[in-house]
Amino acid sequence: MKVDLYNYIKAAQKMNRRQVLKGSAAIGAVAMMPKTALAGGHGNVRAEILKIPGVGAGSPTDSDWQKVGEMCLGATKDNVSEGEFEGVELTFMGLNNQNLHNFLFRGFLKPWEAYTGAKINWIDLAQADYNARLQQSIATGTADFDIIEMGAPFEGDVLGKGMASEMPEWVKEQIDMDDYVDYLKAPVGTWGGKTYRVSIDGDCHTFAYRKDYFGEGSITGRDVPTTWQEINEVSKDLIGKEDPLTGLPAHGYLDPLKGWGGFGFYFLENRASAYAKHPNSPAWLFEPDTMKPMVNNPAWVQAIQDVMDLIDAGAYPTDQINADPGTTAFQQFLAGTGSMLMWWGDVGSNARTSDTSVVGEVAGFGVNPASERVYNAKAGAWEETRNEAPNMAYIGWGVYVMATVEGDEKKKKAAWSAAAHLGGKDLSLWASAYPSGFQPYRNSHFQYDEWEEAGYDRAYVEDYLGSNADSYNHPNAAIEPRIPGIFQYYSVAEDELAKGYAGQYGSAQETADAIAAAWEKITDQIGRDGQIAVYKASLGM
Amino acid sequence: MNKDGDLLHTVTADNISDSRKRLGKFMVWGTALFCVMLALLQTMYQAGSIEIGFETWRPTLYSYMLWATALCAAQVIVNGEKGKRTLFVLPAALFVVSLVIFPLLFALYISFTDWNLASPNGPQPNGWNNLVQMWNDSFYWNALTNMVYYVLAVSVEYVIAFGLALLLNAQIRARKFFRVVFLLPLMLSPVAVSWMIGKSMLEVRFGPISRIIRDLGGEPTFFGDPEIARFMIMAMDAWTFIPFMMIMLLAGLQALPSEILEASKVDGASGWQSFKEIIFPLMMPVSVTAIVIRIIFKLKLADIIINVTSGGPGGATDSVTSFIFREYRDRSNVGYGTLLAIVYLVLIVIFVTLFLKLVSRWMERPA
Repeated sequence: MKVDLYNYIKAAQKMNRRQVLKGSAAIGAVAMMPKTALAGGHGNVRAEILKIPGVGAGSPTDSDWQKVGEMCLGATKDNVSEGEFEGVELTFMGLNNQNLHNFLFRGFLKPWEAYTGAKINWIDLAQADYNARLQQSIATGTADFDIIEMGAPFEGDVLGKGMASEMPEWVKEQIDMDDYVDYLKAPVGTWGGKTYRVSIDGDCHTFAYRKDYFGEGSITGRDVPTTWQEINEVSKDLIGKEDPLTGLPAHGYLDPLKGWGGFGFYFLENRASAYAKHPNSPAWLFEPDTMKPMVNNPAWVQAIQDVMDLIDAGAYPTDQINADPGTTAFQQFLAGTGSMLMWWGDVGSNARTSDTSVVGEVAGFGVNPASERVYNAKAGAWEETRNEAPNMAYIGWGVYVMATVEGDEKKKKAAWSAAAHLGGKDLSLWASAYPSGFQPYRNSHFQYDEWEEAGYDRAYVEDYLGSNADSYNHPNAAIEPRIPGIFQYYSVAEDELAKGYAGQYGSAQETADAIAAAWEKITDQIGRDGQIAVYKASLGM
Repeated sequence: MNKDGDLLHTVTADNISDSRKRLGKFMVWGTALFCVMLALLQTMYQAGSIEIGFETWRPTLYSYMLWATALCAAQVIVNGEKGKRTLFVLPAALFVVSLVIFPLLFALYISFTDWNLASPNGPQPNGWNNLVQMWNDSFYWNALTNMVYYVLAVSVEYVIAFGLALLLNAQIRARKFFRVVFLLPLMLSPVAVSWMIGKSMLEVRFGPISRIIRDLGGEPTFFGDPEIARFMIMAMDAWTFIPFMMIMLLAGLQALPSEILEASKVDGASGWQSFKEIIFPLMMPVSVTAIVIRIIFKLKLADIIINVTSGGPGGATDSVTSFIFREYRDRSNVGYGTLLAIVYLVLIVIFVTLFLKLVSRWMERPA
């Protein structure tokens, strides 16, 4: 679970004294249990680990991570005998964001190291250094690590170049891959029909709105919008009205109009996915057979036009042209400017826990809005049917084993065993329930009874995580292409969009055409044939 | 003892045998040949022409270091005591050549390739394609145009800096305190300035400056309009670097010969006349130096832009360096990005040379 989400739920729910005592008693009981009982109590392990350290008992520490790691070793013990990896050394490259990620992995893997006899060396990277370090390793074909924590968008770069090791069958069974939410199942994590990824996280954009703007007697006097058409209508209607919370000018949807190192493009995608992601094809950014950009087809042009319409109408706050996604979420929406936003999970959690947030009591959540019509790229025509396509922006973190372990069966098994331990079904439940930097990503994570039993407020968990679950398992989820250089495409699109939004292009179509032309150049530079093959593979075609 | 020649600097006489000289020359040419051969073989191996070669260029680097060491040793072997004097400078010279000339040549090569880090083929020479792309790249030309505006702003900064330097050179109260205070912005990182001023004080909703404007009945906008946004970037950059020019000019003012100023007073010159006829002309060399250095700083302007506007709105604040940063960091476009940087380097060299030529007649103090 993301730290903010944990704090959010903690702050949002009213923990009574009995619940706290229940948690404390459980910790005491667990602490008194002998090690064998801990490991052997597999049936109750999920309930037991959720009591470490106990909801409301402060943030977990290294000893908690080790305890959880120890208690979740059962699956490892089924496949690996004690001391089997004696003498094996592995190098793990991952992040150190918020003192989580690798810090947790260290704790989780310490009991695994003690049991198997393997030793793990760690490469900790800041988020800002991560992409450059990985890109460098990819470009030079040199991997000085055996296991990597990596985002799925890089799969094209890494898996497409044969730099990773294929997942053995026993790992698939150990981590119960069938339990993954739909969008994380193949083709995500696979390449050319082979599986490579142990998922440890899920990502998607969800819709956040201000409850006090909607409903009877509110300033809009209407229900929460569920389509982009309605969102634009509401945003225009709000011009000249006053925000009920702050008394400042009221605003509707907050589009970020400034680039964000490529990540800003996800936010145009949120609008475009409803228009462009037709259920009849997984492709919505490029035509799979030619890599011809679809970004200048009528669907994408409509999405850009929607934004331009709101600019022309003066519906955005002042200086919105200089607002990146970080600004729209944390300086605008949470601070009471604007009433609708798309963002990852943490904006909702921050609504309650951030000192600068004023919308904690009035924030509501939903899935990515739909469109009243959808563009069928295959037929080249609009269809007047409602279409919903949640945007799985960034897809989420996974653990991958590099091809460096090939040729040494003992080392390979050790690396995969470590990865499987981190992506284990029970351990991942704990990671999704406590601060870890990761979101729930398995269907079993959404069994709200378990959360309730652990001491969470069911209504909050259901309301907030429900929007994620609905997005993850959506039959028409829009998955980004895992092709080499995907952020190059996004970055150059941001530059062109900035020009379009500043009125330097004659129309939305011209802006979209400029993006398409820039994308064609990148495709040619990286290699069109290779990109086509990789794109098709990433879509499972 | 040899009584002819450079007796002042020669401590001992050298009677160097021919065989020793031959050994020295053999060391230099032998290791040079070895290095060149290794480099050639490695190039052929990398190009796929031959089967045998090293996995990396490291052995070639080691052979270069071997040659450099042999070259240094040979100076003493061949020239004796005289060679020792050369040895004081040679390692430093080789170091500079290794760290400046080689990377520059490598950058030149890279700039004529289509190297994109995401491409599986690595760097492939692509002739003049990058230059043609640059010629047609409206983002680059837009950034260059912006640089003209940014550089012109130096003239305004110079006037302000000169004024401040004159003030701080005058007999005012708490002069030392003000000198330190005026230097403070220079001590701040431009990134800190970006966040403290650009992203906080000028934040359009909560920023104190926005609140004041709103309280006065206005509607603040700092980065929404292209001209205002460019002006705000110039202002933040100027705020940071005016103290730099000021301190140089202040040093120049303090070094002015007091006799001339006193003589002008005796002759009845007014304050303006002293400034116009004596101080300003005498300050010309310092002024030109300060302006040239400031222009070079200005040409590298990027951090404030990257942090505050990302070059927007619509490229209005983009600088060449911030654009190159995006090409490199966000797009891993190493070949094209390097070409842009090389072209920019050439433009800067030409501009600064012409500028210095133009102002050279003012660089020397009038007699």
